[in-house]
Amino acid sequence: MTPLVLNGLVNGIIVGGLYALLGLSLSLLYGVLRVVNFAHGELVIGGSFLAYALFGALGLPPLFSLPLAALSFFAAGWCAYYLLIPRLSRSDDPETMSFLLMYGLSIALAATLLLLFGADSRSIDYSFSPISVAIGPVNVSTARVVALAVTVVITAAMGWFLFRTLPGKALRAATMNREAIQIVGVNIVRLSALAFALAFAIAGMTGVLIALVFPAFSPFSGGEYSIIGFIVIVLGGLGNPVGALIAGVFYGVAEQMATVFLPQALAQIVGFAILVGTILVRPTGLFGFRVLR
Amino acid sequence: MTAVIEVSGLTKRFGGLTALEDVSLAAGAGKVVGIIGVNGAGKTTLMNCLCGIYRPDGGTIRIDGHDTTGRAPHEVARRGVGRTFQVPRVFGKMSLIDNLLVPVLSRDQPDAQLAAQAEAMLEQMRLIDLRHNFAEELSGGQQKLLEMGRMLMPDPRLVMLDEPFAGVHPQLCSFMIERIQAMAAAGKTVLLISHDLTSIYRLSDWLVAMNQGRIIAEGGVEDIRSNRDVIEAYLGA
Amino acid sequence: MTNPPSPLALADREHGDRVYRRLAALLGAAVTIYFVSVPLLGLNVAFHFYMMLWVTMATAFNITSGFSGYMPFGYVAFYGVGAFTTAVLVKKAGFAVFAALPVAGLAGVLLSLLFAPTLRLSGIYFAIVSLALAGICRLTIANLPETITGGSFGLQLGSRAEPIFAFYLMMLVMLAALASVLWLSRSRLGKALRAVRDDADAADMMGVNVGWVRLQGWMLAAFFPAVCGGVEAWYTNVVDTETAFNTLITTKTVIYAVAGGLGTVTGPVVGAIAMSWLDELVWRRFPLINLLILGVAVMLLVLFLPRGLVGTILRKRPQWRRLIP
Repeated sequence: MTPLVLNGLVNGIIVGGLYALLGLSLSLLYGVLRVVNFAHGELVIGGSFLAYALFGALGLPPLFSLPLAALSFFAAGWCAYYLLIPRLSRSDDPETMSFLLMYGLSIALAATLLLLFGADSRSIDYSFSPISVAIGPVNVSTARVVALAVTVVITAAMGWFLFRTLPGKALRAATMNREAIQIVGVNIVRLSALAFALAFAIAGMTGVLIALVFPAFSPFSGGEYSIIGFIVIVLGGLGNPVGALIAGVFYGVAEQMATVFLPQALAQIVGFAILVGTILVRPTGLFGFRVLR
Repeated sequence: MTAVIEVSGLTKRFGGLTALEDVSLAAGAGKVVGIIGVNGAGKTTLMNCLCGIYRPDGGTIRIDGHDTTGRAPHEVARRGVGRTFQVPRVFGKMSLIDNLLVPVLSRDQPDAQLAAQAEAMLEQMRLIDLRHNFAEELSGGQQKLLEMGRMLMPDPRLVMLDEPFAGVHPQLCSFMIERIQAMAAAGKTVLLISHDLTSIYRLSDWLVAMNQGRIIAEGGVEDIRSNRDVIEAYLGA
Repeated sequence: MTNPPSPLALADREHGDRVYRRLAALLGAAVTIYFVSVPLLGLNVAFHFYMMLWVTMATAFNITSGFSGYMPFGYVAFYGVGAFTTAVLVKKAGFAVFAALPVAGLAGVLLSLLFAPTLRLSGIYFAIVSLALAGICRLTIANLPETITGGSFGLQLGSRAEPIFAFYLMMLVMLAALASVLWLSRSRLGKALRAVRDDADAADMMGVNVGWVRLQGWMLAAFFPAVCGGVEAWYTNVVDTETAFNTLITTKTVIYAVAGGLGTVTGPVVGAIAMSWLDELVWRRFPLINLLILGVAVMLLVLFLPRGLVGTILRKRPQWRRLIP
């Protein structure tokens, strides 16, 4: 394997880890609440900007921004849930209305970031020492390796939460059958709020990691991350968190490998093409459920 | 008397489950055939096969002498078959009049004539005052009546009703019975699934009792009521 | 089995039809007279041009969403393809804009045929795939040889700044779109489309050809945005992938249509006009937070007025439904 290809693979896994987190949080929202979060990318970028702002104002290294992002986004998610969702579930077409609501939120968030930070691309001038680490014949920036490590930790923590704790199991049960879980006495409202807040928290942390892994971000970068998120959850099967994780890594690797072998222009189309192809050929994704109308 | 519907040896399997096994029945014009049995006996599956929603694995279905086995639903409908569902499937965001017009959209008649027919039907179903409302704004019972009216618009020869009385209050029930009797009087063949035994005994010329995908007994109402197998499987002592 | 006719309903229906026709004529006349006089009275041509554009876009979008039940979040693909087709024909092939526009519309229809397999997907899958397909369109055109589509700089039509001409052209397109939807809402195709939207399997059982009906609605809904893209290209004299495929176009279309209320003819018109005014007011007073207000407005709309202005009124007065176009 040439160093270029190996490079692509390693970076693919690192980027894929981030995409997996994107997919995980999106999947949580869709699975439990049937909410398609068109504002997900903007939320994530919000996390990046938070890290940027904390670094700029307080000199706080991005790693320390992680828990802050997690907590503040969790709180924001909890409030946002109670503010937005109960009304939505009472309308005649909650699915369509949730797209539109989140669409509106995505515009509002992007506009807020634009107001606060301006339209320019930003990056965090933080460097680890040593700047890069050698993995076999390939040199990878330490920031990226750290990001991967954090991704693994977050994923493991979520895995433990979803499979080993009671609220986590309740969440998984809710993704399978909303009505049934209410009948057995679970407070679906609080559970949904938890899912919402958790998804926000993960999104916020993902944003911080994105700042470490990708060279730059701007208030307009949100859109592309939303699309990547959708590609990942569709590949993994809507509402299936484990599927999303696997699909995220797969997609990250596919994307990075595409840039190795294809011209830039074509590589961009690959992502979209994978999405369209998957839905038309195997609509339930690699692991998912009902899709046709 | 030629049968309007003739079913012979109908079989349907879902994976390892045999939902219908060698089911045969026939009915002529103006007759009401009641189908009874426990949940899961295969009654709705039978109806689904007859109207084309399911493709049977074996046997034949003939409507007015034409073989309709395995044909798609709209092809079966074209043979003059109408059907209602256990849970009414109305077009929620369309007016009652528009709901009634859907089955006759491909007719050559002018719009005004079809609209008049729809209005007449709504009048008959006592829904005329709500004609501009969206179907989703109706109560469950009213939606069942709407579905019945919609089914009758293309003047079908064979009518299949799946649990029309389920969840319907007694007054509405009597009205529905009247309507079904009118259908039979007009020469239509009616297949009726119901757990409402009083109503089905009143309406049926012939009863078919099913259990575990098979017909366990068929005959006149009194015969079936006193049939030992039927009592054991379904009616209770 | 014939039932006795209902004379009261007949009289009521004829009355209702008369009122409807009068209101539809009134709507058409009011819209025509108003927009014809804009340049004559010295009112802001640019503002009204775009208002007509959004009325047309929202109206056409209503065909695919209100009538058919699809939410194509990549709706801008038709607009962009129409814009580029017009630009290429005018600039490279020397077409007159009158001749180029119908071809642009056709291009939109052809694209819709290409996307037709997605019509079997449900709600969110359809929306997401639509978004991806629009992205593919944009990237494909952006990467075509510069000699054809101008690469990243785009094309200039050389329309020698004839804004009034483009203005009236836009008006004609808008009227055509309104006429089409007026016809559709009362036609048998329109009823079939709505039945398929509400319960495709039930409609199928009643003899409606589900696939063909959906396709017709889809093609009609793709024609008008493509023509809009072409007219706007002529008006601004420039076409490039960033503006012609800008997601904000879909965003505004969706919001304006929903604000008025999907499913009626007047809904999107009311929504587009009201929101255009709001947008203009906000843009003049608060140019910086324009976008923020748009986003918040959408959220408030969805939370408090989900059926739109016209839709909410009709919910309260169902008897008016047959009267209001």
